[in-house]
Parts: sequence; C-alpha cells; structure tokens
Amino acid sequence: MARNAVNSEGRVAVHDLVKRFGSVAAVDGVSLDVAAGEFVALLGPSGSGKTTILMAIAGFEYPTSGRVEIGGEDVTWAPANKRNLGMVFQRYTLFPHMSVAENIAFPLKMRGIGRVERERRALAALETVRLAGYGERRTNQLSGGQQQRIALARAIVYQPRVLLMDEPLSALDKNLREEMQLEIKHLQQQLGITVVFVTHDQTEAMTMADRVAVLDLGRLQQVGAPRDLYEAPATPFVAGFIGETNFLPGRAVAAAAAGETLAVDLDGGGRVAAVAVDRLAAGAALRLAVRPERVRLAPSAGGLGGTVVEAIYAGVATTLIAELGGERRVRARIAAGTGERNWSDGEAVDVSWRPEDARAFAAGAAG
Amino acid sequence: MTAGRPPRQGGVGRLLLHAFAYAVIVFLLLPTVLVAPMSVSPEKYLQFPPSGFSLRWYGEYFADREWVEATLFSAEAGIISAIGATVVGTMTALALVRGRVRGRAVVELLIIGPVVVPHIALAVAMFLVYEQLRLTGTLLGFAMAHIVLALPFAIFTVLAALYRFDADLEMAALSCGASRIATFRHVTLPMIAPGVASAALFAFIISFDEAVVSFFISDLDRKTLPRKMFEDIDFDVSPVLAAVATMLSLLTILVLVLGHFFKQMADRRAAPAREGKTP
Amino acid sequence: MSARRPSAFFLGGRHLSEAASLALLVPFALLLVVVFLLPLGTLLHESLLVPAPTLEHYERVFAQPVYLRVMWRTLRIAFYVTLVALLLGYPLAYVMSRSGGLKLGLMAAAVLLPLWTSVLVRTYAWMVLLQRNGLVNEGLTGLGFVDAPIRLLYTEGAVVLAMSHVLLPFMVLPVFSALKGIPDDYPRAAQMLGASGWSTFREVIWPLSLPGVVSGCLMVFLLALGFFITPALIGGPQQMMIATLVSQQVREMLNWPFAGALVGVLLAFVLALTIAFNRFIRLERFVGTRS
Repeated sequence: MARNAVNSEGRVAVHDLVKRFGSVAAVDGVSLDVAAGEFVALLGPSGSGKTTILMAIAGFEYPTSGRVEIGGEDVTWAPANKRNLGMVFQRYTLFPHMSVAENIAFPLKMRGIGRVERERRALAALETVRLAGYGERRTNQLSGGQQQRIALARAIVYQPRVLLMDEPLSALDKNLREEMQLEIKHLQQQLGITVVFVTHDQTEAMTMADRVAVLDLGRLQQVGAPRDLYEAPATPFVAGFIGETNFLPGRAVAAAAAGETLAVDLDGGGRVAAVAVDRLAAGAALRLAVRPERVRLAPSAGGLGGTVVEAIYAGVATTLIAELGGERRVRARIAAGTGERNWSDGEAVDVSWRPEDARAFAAGAAG
Repeated sequence: MTAGRPPRQGGVGRLLLHAFAYAVIVFLLLPTVLVAPMSVSPEKYLQFPPSGFSLRWYGEYFADREWVEATLFSAEAGIISAIGATVVGTMTALALVRGRVRGRAVVELLIIGPVVVPHIALAVAMFLVYEQLRLTGTLLGFAMAHIVLALPFAIFTVLAALYRFDADLEMAALSCGASRIATFRHVTLPMIAPGVASAALFAFIISFDEAVVSFFISDLDRKTLPRKMFEDIDFDVSPVLAAVATMLSLLTILVLVLGHFFKQMADRRAAPAREGKTP
Repeated sequence: MSARRPSAFFLGGRHLSEAASLALLVPFALLLVVVFLLPLGTLLHESLLVPAPTLEHYERVFAQPVYLRVMWRTLRIAFYVTLVALLLGYPLAYVMSRSGGLKLGLMAAAVLLPLWTSVLVRTYAWMVLLQRNGLVNEGLTGLGFVDAPIRLLYTEGAVVLAMSHVLLPFMVLPVFSALKGIPDDYPRAAQMLGASGWSTFREVIWPLSLPGVVSGCLMVFLLALGFFITPALIGGPQQMMIATLVSQQVREMLNWPFAGALVGVLLAFVLALTIAFNRFIRLERFVGTRS
C-alpha cells in the first residue's frame, strides 16, 4: 500500500490560529507548517490547546480567527466529512453494530465504492495492520490494542492525505503502547502519509515524531526535532517540560547576545558560566537551566559549594540532591556503570557544569 | 443482588417492612387481576368467583360493530401517533443533544408541558379549537392530539438512548467521510434503535389508552375505544366491559414485555462501547 | 484561495449547526403551537377578553360558595392522595432499592404494569369492587363488620382510594431511583460511626432520597389536581372535582368563558408548581426502571 507518494497534497498548515471559548483562548495565535509525509507530534499538558488545534484541522472545531490549509487549499470552514482526512481517536470508536470488515469498509462505502472493491481494500488494510483473518469478528471480541489497530486500518483504507491521531495510545497499557508506537511509526514511513499526532507523553512524542511542537497555554513554545528540543530548549517551559531541568535564578554580569557565553552571578552567591539563549543586558535577571545529567559533583574545593541531602538509587541512574544554601537545590544524575564514586548524605560537594551545558533565559521569558 | 447491603438490622422491623411492601404490591395489582376471572363468568352480572367458564362476553365484544369499530379506530390513531411521536421526538432529541439550540429552557419547558398541564385543560381547549377547525372526530385530529400527549415520553426515551451512546462514534463516522445524514442513518440510528422502538411502543399505548382528550374530541360516529368504554361504564357495569378491560391489561403486559426486550437490546448495544472505554 | 467565514448559523463542526438544529425542531414547535399553545391560548382568551376584557368569570370562581367548595375539595383530595401515595409508595420503593435480580424485576413489573394500564380499566376495576354488591361489600358483610352493604361509591374516601391506586406508580418510581442512587457506602459509613438502623435512615437515607420524594409528590399532586376520569366515575356529581366541573360547564352549560376561567386558575397553579420544581420532573423514569 506504499503508493501514497510524498507530494504537496499532504501538506498541513495552520496560520495564526486563535480559538476562544468565551473569554478563554484555548489556542492563542499558533502557526505551524507540516510538510507532506512528515510526522509531527503536538505535545503539551492538558489545557495547552493541542487537541483544539487537531480538532480545527479535522473540522470538528472552527477557529475564532486564522486559517487551516490542507494540500495548499484553505479548508478552514469545510465540514469534517469533506476534508478527506483519516482520524484515530483516543477511544477506539469502532462501530459496535458492524463487523471488523464492515468498520474498515465504511469510509469506502461513504465514497460510493462498490462492494467487491470495498472488500478487497478492507482485506488489504487488515493485512497492513497485521490482523488478516479478523474481518468477520465482532468488535467487542478484540483486545484494546487490536481495536486500535482496526481503527487505524479504517482511517487509512481510503488513502487519505493526512492522518490525525488524538492520543490514540493513551488507553493501552505501557508495553502495548510502546509496541504500537513503533508500529505506527513504521506504518507511517511505509505509507508516506502525513501524521499529526496529539499526545501529552513526551517520550511518545520523541519516539514517534520527526518534529515535535510543544504547546503551553494555547501558545506554541518550540517546534523542532526531538534532539533539538532536548539539547536546545528555546523557552524555560520547554526545558522544564521535556526531560528534567534544574532552574537557578541569577543576573548577567555583562551584556550578552543570544548564543554567546556569559558569566552569571547566581542569586544567593556563586559565579558560573553559561550560554545566553535570549539577548541579555548587563545586570539583567535570568534563569539558568541545567540538565541533571550534565551536573558534575566533586569533593569540596572552594567552588560552588553545597551539601548532599539525598541520594535516590533507581538502577540505571542515581539522583543526588545537593543543597546550595538559600533554598537552592540542584539535582545531579549519575548513570550506572560510569565508575563515579558514591556520595552519601551530608557530604560537602562542589557543583559544576560545562558552560555550554547551562542555558540562560531572560527572566521574563514565556513559561 | 446488591453486593454490599448494610447488615440486617432488627429482624422484626425488616419483616414488617417487607410484608408492607408486598401488601402494597397486592394493592397495586389486585383490582385489575380480579376483573379477569369475572370476565369469563357466564352470568349476566359480574360475579366473583365466577360460576363457570365462558367466553360469552368476549364473543359479544367481537360481534358488536360499535366495539370493533372503536377498537380499530383507536388502533389506527395509535399507530399513526406512534410513528409521528417517534419521528418528531427523535428529531427534537437530536437537536437538544447534538445541536446548538437557543432558548433551550423554553424548549424544555414546552416538552414537559403536555405532562404537567392537566389533560382536562388540554381536552377542553382542543375541543374548542377543533370545533372551529372541523377536526373533531377525525383521524388527523386524534393523531395530532395524541402525538402531543406522547411526545414528552418519546423525547425523553430517545434522549436517554442518545446520552448512553458514545458521541465520538459520530465524529468517527464524519471523519470517515460520511455526511450528517449518512452518519445518522448508518451509525446513530442503528445504535439508538432500541430506544426509538420503545418510544414508539409507549407512544402507541399512550394513544390507545388515552381517555380524557378523546372524550372531548370524539363525535357521534367516530370514537375511540376508551371513549366507548367511558360511555358504557357510565351506563352500566356490564361484563363486556370486564372482557375489554382484561384484553387491555393483556395488551399492556405485551407492551411491557416488548419494552423490556428493547431495553435489554439497548443494554447489549451499549456494553461493547463501555468495555472499550476502560483503559 | 482564502475562503470567507460562513455565517456561524450554518457551521456545524462536532455539533449540528444552529440552522440544522432549528430545522429539526420545526415539527415539534409546529405541533406544540397548533395543538397545545393555541388551544390553551384560545380558551384563556375566551375567559378574559370575550366579548370585552373582564375578570368577571374569575371573580365568579372565587365568589360562589359552590365553586369554592369544589376547589377546596380538589385541593383536599389531591393532598390526601399525595399523602397516601407517599405512605404506601416510600416503603415499597425502599424495599425495591435494596433488592436485585428477579425480585426487583418482579416488583418493578408490578409497579410498571398498573402505570401503563389504561386509567379507565383501573377505574372500572375499582367500580366493580366498590359497588353495592361488589367484592368489598361482600367481604365486609361476610366478616361481620357491617350488617348490610354500605355505600362506598360516590364517597370522598372511594375517590381518594382509587386515585391513590392509579397514581401510586408516579410516587414509587422517582423515590426508587433516588434511593437506588444512594451508594451503599453512605449507610455503611453511618453505621460504622455508630448510628442505629433507624437513625441511619433518618439522618442519611431520608435526606438523600428527598429529591425523589419531592419529584414523586409533585407528579402525584399535579396529576391529582386535574384528574378527570377517576373522580368523574367514582366520585360522581356528589364528589365533584375541578375537572368534572370544567367538563360540566363545557358539555352541559356551554359556558366557555367560565370553563376557561376554571382552567386558567388550574393552569396558574400547575405552572407555578412546575416552574418552582422544574428540575425534579424527570420523565425518563416512567419508561424503564432505571433513570
């Protein structure tokens, strides 16, 4: 079924999308361009607006302002059933009064395709989702994972340009979810279909997507490849939402442009080096972000000093919490098998990191 | 049985309570149940216990043109009312659950209107207007009146079915390219069909048994069964009436059994969707 | 390329558009206007404005002792019927709510069957039982309570008895569904905290079942106020209630304005109660056993 060639047909774009419910803006000016054949995940906590954006693309919600384009065509006001999209919902939404095969053939029937052709294509779609031979089953005879695979088959059987997925795996248990993540990813690559995928699970987003769009409070925080988001978060929100981050307040010693290394006076004492994310004036308040696995600990020798207050052993890694004084706490993560020494509670330590591992955000930055 | 019922307290009190409840049930059922044996008595007057077994009064009912015509007329009105109330009720329920309705409170108040407004008030008012519109004694007149009386129950039955039905299934159908009408025909209607069927059933029995409005909007040659019964009861307490009453009770039992059957069907339809929802 | 925003009236999305919703409501609205609002309006119009605006007919309702007596009797009977229905219905609903399986099924059937049996059939059954040589009199004389058959029909007691019977299901079902909705944990918690069976009922179950009680009492009272068939046949002219009076005015006196005024008074009462207790009226309870 790999004949859905990658072409501009599958491009999805939203421009300046705003959706207000009463006085609350669920989506507040989001623009996003998804290339044909690309897998983009919309990631954010609940209330971030990710589902609303998906619903606007699907045609189940109309924006207050802004535009939705599919394949270069403005579909902002087109009804859902005219958009030729595939959609998989959080709940399985299989029609309980139809057999598995009838479920998959339903969209073909709605397109006026003849019975013979419908059956042929439904069987092919069943094979694609590795459930050949299940056509005559009732939907309630299937497990959750199987039901979701049937829902997937129903969404791709008519070869839509774009597949929308609204947290399709959240009802599955962990092992099955991880298996399905890879399966969906492979299927998407095989079909060359555009996928817009909503999730609140960062691991899921990073595992599956070519690019991840991080949303918070209806605003787009950052769009990028999973690696970029983790290594170079653009806002404190992204730094905090994806992976774990230590935040330390401080002030710029001298002015610095974005990307430059600068010296930072931490509130509560200590001078460290960091890379500026935003342009910073001399003396400007900032927030320093350092990943726990980038924090290094050494025996106290007059550096940025602190005390180990807790060591949490979790197999693959050990997390140490060091108190720097003035309520400031820093978490350091030491991977197992690195030969690092064990630290115990109450031990005095110096905390440090490479300048390029600390990112300085202007204190007023969003998030 | 309810799994965790509170520990049994006060054996005597509990016994009295149950005895009382059963007595109330006997009170509820007894009057109608007693009429059945009286209807098979061969005597000219009602007798309990009956002196023998005879279907004489049933035969008399079927031989009497007036009774048969009234029954057929009621059945006609009942079927038309059932269809009308179900169609209109389903449309109204759909608008309320899936639509955007301004002035929803007004619509909801109108829905319960025919239930809370005493039937005597409606009957007299309809009589007044029907006279002017020449609708008294017409099938159309009865059907319209009975549809309005049955609508509240039809609407609430379909509403309940719609609330149980997973609305995401409609979104799924739309996303598959189905139009609104195709979605209703292929997904919504099959799912709520048992509810719609019970709505039709109960609308039929409401119309078939309706006495007050019929009493006023009948005319001399076109009358419904309840109107005919009303006249005869006022006239004399004849055993033919006992036969009619028994047959009407049997009809009610049939309707309730069918209704129960539809309800079980609805439960079965709702079951897989519920199962799928649990993570 | 950019499409203009269509009027929100026609936009559907996940829901039906306002236009589609309105279209779906048209038959309902038409029927209710023609067969409900228009007739009632015409009747009230007769009572107030024909031939000239006047309150004379309403004054007559309250000024004439004959009519006042009918109104007072109607209120009194409706009150008694509600009370009897509550006293009989609550214990039954309580036992039902604590039962399950077949037992509940049979009890529910016993309540639903009379509810859906024609009012005429049930009234007829009571007439048969209560007539001079009916079963009740036979029983009373047989047991030696009375020497000769007594008059039971056409008494207020007979009307209250028959109406309570006819309206009892309207009490049982809402009370049952309110009681059924009380999680078992509440009475259990009360007992853990030391409440006796009776105080558990008084402090926990009764207050939590009140919405159902209000709903049941409201339904029974409203229906009793305007009841026609049963009082007309069992009460006769001696025990005339307002509905019978309305019927008499229309059919015998052809006094439409006065009948309109009676209906107006009745409607004002019913409407006030309905608007005050709107949220307690839940019709779906009368179709199945579950709400």
